Amino acid sequence: MNTVPEKLLHIENLVLHFKTAGGSVQAVDGVDFDLDSNRAVVILGESGCGKTSLSKALLRLLPRNVDKYSGKVFLQGTDVMTLDNEEYRQNVRWVGMSLVPQAAMNSLNPVLKVGDQVAEPAMVHLGLSKAEAYVLVYKMFQHVGVPADFVERYPFELSGGMRQRVALAMALVTSPSLIVLDEPTSALDLLTQANIMNVLKRIKHELGTSFILITHDIATSSELADEVAIMYAGQIVETGDARDFFPAPLHPYSQMLMASVPRLRTDSDPMFITGQPPSLMNPPKGCRFASRCPYRFEKCSEEPPVFQKGNRKVKCWLHE
Amino acid sequence: MSVTAQVPVEKLTVKKSIANSSVLRVLRFSLKRLLTLFVTVVIGIYLTILIANMGGFVDEIIKGQIRDTVTQRVANNPNALQMEPELRKKLIEDQIALEEKRRGLNTPIAVRNFRYLSNALQLDLGRAINLTSDSGSKQVRLILLERLPATLLLMGTSQLFLFFSSIFIALSLSRKYGSFWDKLVIALSPTSAVPPWFYGIFLILIFSAALKILPFGGMVDSPPPPNTFDYSMSVLKHLTLPCLALILSSFFLSVYNYRTFFLIYSSEDYVDMAKAKGLPARDIERTYILRPTLPTIITNFSLLIITLWTGALFTETVFLWPGLGRTLFQAIGQYDTPIIVGSSIIFAYMLAMTVFLLDFVYALVDPRVKIGG
Repeated sequence: MNTVPEKLLHIENLVLHFKTAGGSVQAVDGVDFDLDSNRAVVILGESGCGKTSLSKALLRLLPRNVDKYSGKVFLQGTDVMTLDNEEYRQNVRWVGMSLVPQAAMNSLNPVLKVGDQVAEPAMVHLGLSKAEAYVLVYKMFQHVGVPADFVERYPFELSGGMRQRVALAMALVTSPSLIVLDEPTSALDLLTQANIMNVLKRIKHELGTSFILITHDIATSSELADEVAIMYAGQIVETGDARDFFPAPLHPYSQMLMASVPRLRTDSDPMFITGQPPSLMNPPKGCRFASRCPYRFEKCSEEPPVFQKGNRKVKCWLHE
Repeated sequence: MSVTAQVPVEKLTVKKSIANSSVLRVLRFSLKRLLTLFVTVVIGIYLTILIANMGGFVDEIIKGQIRDTVTQRVANNPNALQMEPELRKKLIEDQIALEEKRRGLNTPIAVRNFRYLSNALQLDLGRAINLTSDSGSKQVRLILLERLPATLLLMGTSQLFLFFSSIFIALSLSRKYGSFWDKLVIALSPTSAVPPWFYGIFLILIFSAALKILPFGGMVDSPPPPNTFDYSMSVLKHLTLPCLALILSSFFLSVYNYRTFFLIYSSEDYVDMAKAKGLPARDIERTYILRPTLPTIITNFSLLIITLWTGALFTETVFLWPGLGRTLFQAIGQYDTPIIVGSSIIFAYMLAMTVFLLDFVYALVDPRVKIGG
C-alpha cells in the first residue's frame, strides 16, 4: 500500500457489471492499471470490449441497471470508491478527474451559451464568481484554439470540431490532474482529428495534465500515447510503454489488432481477426481470446495470470 | 485615422440592415401566421354553426314550437273562438308567419348561417333562444360572463393544482426511477380511465350522503351567508368535492406522463455530462432538465389555461355547479345554438391567439428557434 501515493492513479480489480434481461453483462471485469502524472495512456480495443464502460466506472457515471460495481480506484492516494456520492461530487468530479465525452455534439446543453457551460465547473468547484470564472474560460479557449467571442454562442452554432474543443476547454477549466477522453475524435474528419491531437499534446506539455485516452483509432492515438493498454472482453490484456509496444506487441490479440491497421503504399492487405469477441454475458472460462487465437494450446483453457516482462505486463500463457 | 473611423460605421450599417431585415422577417411571419389562423377560426366556427343548427333541423324544431304556442294562444283567445274556422285558420297562419319573420326564420338557412358567422366573428353573439341569465337577460354575452367566474374558480383551482403538483412530483419520481412510489404511480395511472363525473358521484355518495360532511352540490349555501368570510368558507366547502373529482381523475396519469417525459430528457448526454461536471443535483434539474424542456411545459400550460374556458361539462352538471360547462350542457340539450356558437367562438379566438403567441415565446426560451427563419 505504501507504494500507492506515488502514482497519480492506481486501479485495482475494477468491476462493472450491468443487469440485462439476458443476465449480467460483465463490461468491465477486473481491470488493474497505474498511471503517473503528466503521462498519457491509450486504451485500445475493438467496439464492445468495455472501453466506454471503463470510463463510466472510473467517473462513476453509472446507468440505472448496474449489477456490480466494485474495486479500488486510488486517485492521488485516496480510494475514491469509498467516498459517498456527495463527497465524490465535491472532491473528485472535475476536481480530480474530468471527462471529454464521446459525442461532444450531444454533450452540451442546447439552450445554454457555451461560455456559461465552460464556466460552470469553475464556479461550482473553485467557488469563483461568474466574472472570475470567465477569465479562466477565455484562457482555456485560447489554449484549445477557440475564438474568444464564441463564449456568447450556443452549441448549435458551432461546428463539430469547435464543439469538441469547447468540451476540451470545459474539461480543463478546473485544472484537474487527470482527464479521461472517451473517443474524443471519432466523429471528426482527419484534419480536425490531427488538430485536436496537437492541442492535447500541447496541453500535456504546458499544463502537465495526465490523459486516459480511450479510442479504437490506433493511428491517431499513437501520436499522444506514452503508455498503451489493450482491452479485450472487459479485461486489460496488455500494458506497456508506447515506445516498446508499437514496434512489438506481445499479446496475440495486440499483434493482430496492430496488423489490422491499413498502411499506405504497400501491397499487403490489412489483417482482420476472424470471429467475434465473446459475449460479455457469458464469457468463456480461461483466456477470453482463446477461441480466436492462432497460438492456442492446452493451457489456454485456464485463466492466464498477468506476466511481467521487463516493464511490460501481458495476460497470456505464451509469455509465462 | 480615416480608416479606423470608417470601420465602426460600416459595422454599424451592417448591424442596422440586419436589424431591419429581422424586423421585416418577423412582421412578414406574423402577418402570414395571423391570416392562416384566422382562416382556421372561420372554418372552425362555420362548422360549429352548421353542427349546432344540425344542418337546419333546429329550424324545424323551432318552427314546430312556434306553431304549438301560436295555436295554443289562439285557442285560448275568447274572441277567436267565435270566428269562422276558415278565418281562425288564417289568423293562426298569419301569426306564425309573423313570428317566423320576427325570428328571421323566413330567410334561407344558408344565408342566415353566413350572416351568423360574420356576427359571431365580430363577437356579436346575439340572443339565446331558451336560456336566460340569472338576472333575466337573454344576451349570450351576459349569460356567458355571468357563468365565467364559477368555472374559472373550479377549473382554475383543480387544473393549476394538477399542473404544478404533477410537475413537482414527476421530477422527484424521475430522480428515483423504479422506486416504490414510482411503481405505485404507474400502477395507479389507469385510474384516469374513469371520467371525473363518475368519481363525482362516488364522492357525493361518500361525503354527502353517508358522512354528511360536505354539500351535495351548488356553489354556495342557500341563503348565501351575509359576511365575506362565511361566504368564502361556504364556497370552499362546495368547491372541495368537484375539485377532488377533477383532480382524482387525471392526477396519476398526469404524473406518469411528466415522469416519463422527464426520464427521457434526463437520459440526454448533456445531463450525464452535467453530472460528471459535479454540478449539484438542484442545478442539474433546473438548467439541464427543466430549461431544455421549457417549450413543452409552456405549451402544456398555456393550452391548459385556455381549456379552463370550456369548463367541465359533466362534472359541473353532476355537482350543479353554475359554470360554463353546465350552461353548455344545457344549451346542447335545448338546441340553444347561439350559446354553443358563442362559447365556441371565444374558445377558438383564445386558441388562435395562444398558438400565435407561443411561436414568439418559443423563440424567447429556445435559442435554436428563430421566428420565420
